[in-house]
Amino acid sequence: MPDRDTQEPGPQELLRVEGVVKHYPGVVALSGVSLDVRAGEIHALLGENGAGKSTLINVLSGTTQPTSGQVLVAGEPVQLRRPRDAQDLGITTIHQELSLAPELTVLQNIFLGRELRRGPFGRGLLDEHAMSARVQGVIADFGLTERDLRRPVGEFGALTQHVVEIIKALAFDARLVILDEPTSGLAEEERVMLFDHMRRLRERGISLVWVTHRLDELYGLVDRITVLRDGRTVATTDTTESTPADLVRLMVGRKTTSLGVIAEGRTPAERPADPRAEVLRLENVSRRPVLRGVSLTIAGGEILGVAGVAGAGRTELARAILGADRIDGGRILVDGEPVRIRHPRDAYRLGIAMVPEERKTLGILADFPLDKNTTVSRLGKVARLGLMLDRRRERAVTRDYIDELGVRTTGAGERIRNLSGGNQQKIVIARCLFTGPRLIIFDEPTQGIDVAAKAEVYRLIHRFVAGGGAALVISSEIPELLHVSDRILVMREGAIAGEVRPDLRGDDLEADERVSAEIMSLAARSVA
Amino acid sequence: MPASRRLARAFAVEGVAVAVIFVGMVVFFSLASPFFLTGGNIANLLVETVIIALLAAGMTFVLVVGGIDLSVGSVTGLSAATTMWALMSGLPLPVGLLVGIGTGLVAGVVNGAVIALLGVNDFIVTLAMLSVGAGLLQVVTSDVQLTGVQSDAFAWLTQGSVLGLPAPVLIAVVVVLVLEFVLVATPFGRSAYAAGIGPRAAELAGVPVRRVRFGVYVLSGACAGGAGVLLASKLNSVQSGLGSGYELTAIAAAVLGGISLAGGRGSVWRAVLGAVFLGTLGQGLQMLGVDPLWFTIVTGLSIVAAVALDRVVGRVALSRLLGADRPTGGPADPSTPLRDAALENEDPRSVQPLAGSAREARTS
Amino acid sequence: MTSLTTSPATSPGTSPTSPTVRRGPAGLLREVVRRPSAGVVGLLVLICAVMTFLAPSFLTYGNWYNLAQQMVFVALLAIGMTIVLITGGIDLSVGSVLGLSAGVMAYLVNQGMMFGLCLLLAVAAGAALGLVNGLVVTKLGIPDFVATLAMLGVAGGLLYLWTGGVPFTGFMIPVYDTLGGVTPLVGDLTAPILAMAVIAVVVAFIMRRTSFGRHAYGVGGNREAARLSGVDVGRVRVTAYVLSGTLAACAGVLLAGRTTAVAPTIGVGYEIQAIAAAVIGGAALAGGRGRVLGAVLGALTLTVASNVINLASVSPTWQPVAVGTILLVAVGLDRASASLSRRLGRAAPSR
Repeated sequence: MPDRDTQEPGPQELLRVEGVVKHYPGVVALSGVSLDVRAGEIHALLGENGAGKSTLINVLSGTTQPTSGQVLVAGEPVQLRRPRDAQDLGITTIHQELSLAPELTVLQNIFLGRELRRGPFGRGLLDEHAMSARVQGVIADFGLTERDLRRPVGEFGALTQHVVEIIKALAFDARLVILDEPTSGLAEEERVMLFDHMRRLRERGISLVWVTHRLDELYGLVDRITVLRDGRTVATTDTTESTPADLVRLMVGRKTTSLGVIAEGRTPAERPADPRAEVLRLENVSRRPVLRGVSLTIAGGEILGVAGVAGAGRTELARAILGADRIDGGRILVDGEPVRIRHPRDAYRLGIAMVPEERKTLGILADFPLDKNTTVSRLGKVARLGLMLDRRRERAVTRDYIDELGVRTTGAGERIRNLSGGNQQKIVIARCLFTGPRLIIFDEPTQGIDVAAKAEVYRLIHRFVAGGGAALVISSEIPELLHVSDRILVMREGAIAGEVRPDLRGDDLEADERVSAEIMSLAARSVA
Repeated sequence: MPASRRLARAFAVEGVAVAVIFVGMVVFFSLASPFFLTGGNIANLLVETVIIALLAAGMTFVLVVGGIDLSVGSVTGLSAATTMWALMSGLPLPVGLLVGIGTGLVAGVVNGAVIALLGVNDFIVTLAMLSVGAGLLQVVTSDVQLTGVQSDAFAWLTQGSVLGLPAPVLIAVVVVLVLEFVLVATPFGRSAYAAGIGPRAAELAGVPVRRVRFGVYVLSGACAGGAGVLLASKLNSVQSGLGSGYELTAIAAAVLGGISLAGGRGSVWRAVLGAVFLGTLGQGLQMLGVDPLWFTIVTGLSIVAAVALDRVVGRVALSRLLGADRPTGGPADPSTPLRDAALENEDPRSVQPLAGSAREARTS
Repeated sequence: MTSLTTSPATSPGTSPTSPTVRRGPAGLLREVVRRPSAGVVGLLVLICAVMTFLAPSFLTYGNWYNLAQQMVFVALLAIGMTIVLITGGIDLSVGSVLGLSAGVMAYLVNQGMMFGLCLLLAVAAGAALGLVNGLVVTKLGIPDFVATLAMLGVAGGLLYLWTGGVPFTGFMIPVYDTLGGVTPLVGDLTAPILAMAVIAVVVAFIMRRTSFGRHAYGVGGNREAARLSGVDVGRVRVTAYVLSGTLAACAGVLLAGRTTAVAPTIGVGYEIQAIAAAVIGGAALAGGRGRVLGAVLGALTLTVASNVINLASVSPTWQPVAVGTILLVAVGLDRASASLSRRLGRAAPSR
């Protein structure tokens, strides 16, 4: 039980990280990170993907040992060799992929690995009463009931699972809780509740290190912010002393904001005055319970954005169009003709291609070289007599795309896993282009790639559309949608909640604010 | 030429231990037994090797898509029995061959259908098929005496020769070349690699993953059928229990050839190298008067040794040597802790909200 | 966007758990689906009811006494297999381990060693083989089914070599008659039946009430979570294989007494029966789920099935075919129930 008194965020230092360096064979993940966390504060850790946030967390949670540098807890240098070492010092990490066993109950999960025991045989027996008594005082604060303790964790949603992790930390007198991007996968309201829980922890005098890359969440919650870039600490500031623009500059290291890069991609003049013929039409497409009666049309030369919170059914929509999931109602028409798409292969034949979300697991075929990644969706095009693959042509085709899309690589035979995220994404786009599509679905196309690569991805989308193609862009980043799309559909609970038109000039910040507010309210409104 | 370079590289890297041991083995057996390098012995060695090679070639396809087929041994035995039964019923030789291969094909179709279409765990399904096949063999052999087919043409399959080349070798060379071609140079083979590397990514890229998965089990079944025909021709007699243990040998051959159990990596000729290695070993042990049962033990141990070598040596030393050319399983992404590719190739069963598992259900 | 939350937004202030609380018929169905052992009992009762009508000799004390005698070996193996399955592994070597341990027992008794010591060494042999399995799987990182398949070949081959193909006999000293169940121990109850009962209760207790049991479920349910929670994952997995080997050895010692000879083929095919029994009893191949009672019921189901084959005067050579088929059906049902329970889980919160 946390027995610590509530205390003002004071200057007492709970955790100090000094000059931590971590080398992996061939890669420097951390090249000198420093961090200090005071008792009872919420400390945000910011940084782009690859800045070293995850490695630092792994060091602090005892799953990775630093190459050099030291970690001090309450002024004492400590060695964190195993997760247990960190836990014993009161440092608990709540990982992004929640560390719970779905079949075990809430109570069993809370005490997993640290069960309270009794009995004669080396205290080998579990003491269920003691365990349940120990969390009794905490659960009500976090909205759990006695009954919930006995139910399998797998029956609960993401927020409750976070709560279980938090209680797990409290049950063992955590002094520092590290939260690794806790809000991904949570709905807007759930995020708000999680923030309440975080404040509650701070009131108990517990320090939080909160890893995120969403600037909008910081204000009003976070006390101080540390920014990482390229494996080193670039700044630690008070939240009140820095603007979002400052933070973006610190994270990116250049004087470009992502909005500026987006805007340069396409001028209004490039947008077709009258959209060309309709490419795709959905009529009342359903896949219960994730999609309910979705209707939309996309024309050649048009970019249709799709917004919505996580779980609103955006990716499900993409998968249904591509034929990766069966639909149980409605019609899909391509060029006005009803079609049956039973498998992504059918979609590719009909001229529909997709750049999937989660590039590393769903996009690239990591062990394949670039050329095999490029041609895999339409092997028939490089097979003689449909039977024998023509390696030379595969290479030649891929080399053309490498030049055309500006992929930085040593050649078409290089394994795709060795490329940076942005270059991997370009090859996935090349794979789509190779199938000769008229519609490309981009699902979170700039997820986890750096700002410069983002701009190039936007440019490729624009170029594809300028050539008469149609694009459906799904994104969680509203600024991205505002500046890429001609129209934006907002999804909520599997249905289309509404449509908005962004300001096409792309430089009117007030108009952007207005449209994003409209999107947010459409996305979040509860069912009437 | 890339082919020769590939050969050299493969030998230099993945097969280096195997090659060294192989040469050492041949020298040792030649010294230990004067009969080892004689014509008769080599021919004998070849038949056994060819059977292992066939099974290993089929197994390679299954391993490439990330599956496993434990039923090949009992299917081989059952196919041998049906071949004998067909020939003893007076059916012409081609029909007998078709019956044998067809038996394997049917077993493969059942395996493939249950695994790929119903999505049931592969080694359980093929383990059940192992039991069913062995049981059926027992049933068949308990009713009829399957022995003594009088057919020179049938015997020729394993004892004959063309221009001094033993027939089984010819058969094996043709089959292996065809299979290697299918794996490396056709859309089917490419799809198999893609499905092994990342089934979910491959599915979204339009690769017919289920169909490919189905196909490889059918192919493996057909190879087992072919192996059964050769086995029947070699022994001209089929007893209960025939073929048991071949699944272990086939997997061992593939693994010794450097084929990854995690999927996405491997080629037929490498599996054949592994088969030659094991065939030689088995024959050598026999020449020395060692009980052939030691062979089972050595086979079992060699799988463990080969995989361990691949893991330990492969990860530490060879990845450095090759740099970018081989999945190192390590620092491709410094933000994730080192993970064991083979053990983690399934989605980590992390807790997700219920819809997360729903998606898993759809994609699996 | 790695996960999607279908549960609709809870309005702030309500308990976050409320959307997932489900009662009523759907909840009941979910409960049944979540506990596949309920299905086994149903199947078993059905088979028994049908057989009672068809074969008058089925529902007799004598027949069920025999069934109990026969099921002991599969039941012990299935209990061990269930432990391994719960941790997310599999042990294909149990048949060979059973055989080799039986061989050790028979050989040592023939050497005139003290009976208790023989027993201890035979069981220790099984435990040692299990330890090797566990270490190869965890330390060398070799996939479990490959490592244990190799052990199946190695241990099986060793027994063949050791016996030279000729069964070990002549070890049936009087005390072994009792241990093997040739003569009953207490009333009608024989030593194997008692041993099965005691072992089942002890293992069930271990799995439910000790930290090893808890950790085993945790490791199988989410290995990474268990590791991060400070569970020594490697030790839990190794222990599971050791227990499986130990139980296989117990089965081997008892089986030797029942067959009064240790043929080199004594354990062949048992691994499939063990897996089938465990899966029928509700153990998930994916790990994290399984019960000792389920394993025993699974073993009973298989034994009844082969009894049915016997009573129907079908050749016993069909037995492996039946086991293979039952295994396929059981795994298929497991799969179907998993997807059904997922579908129910998904449909419920969306009203």
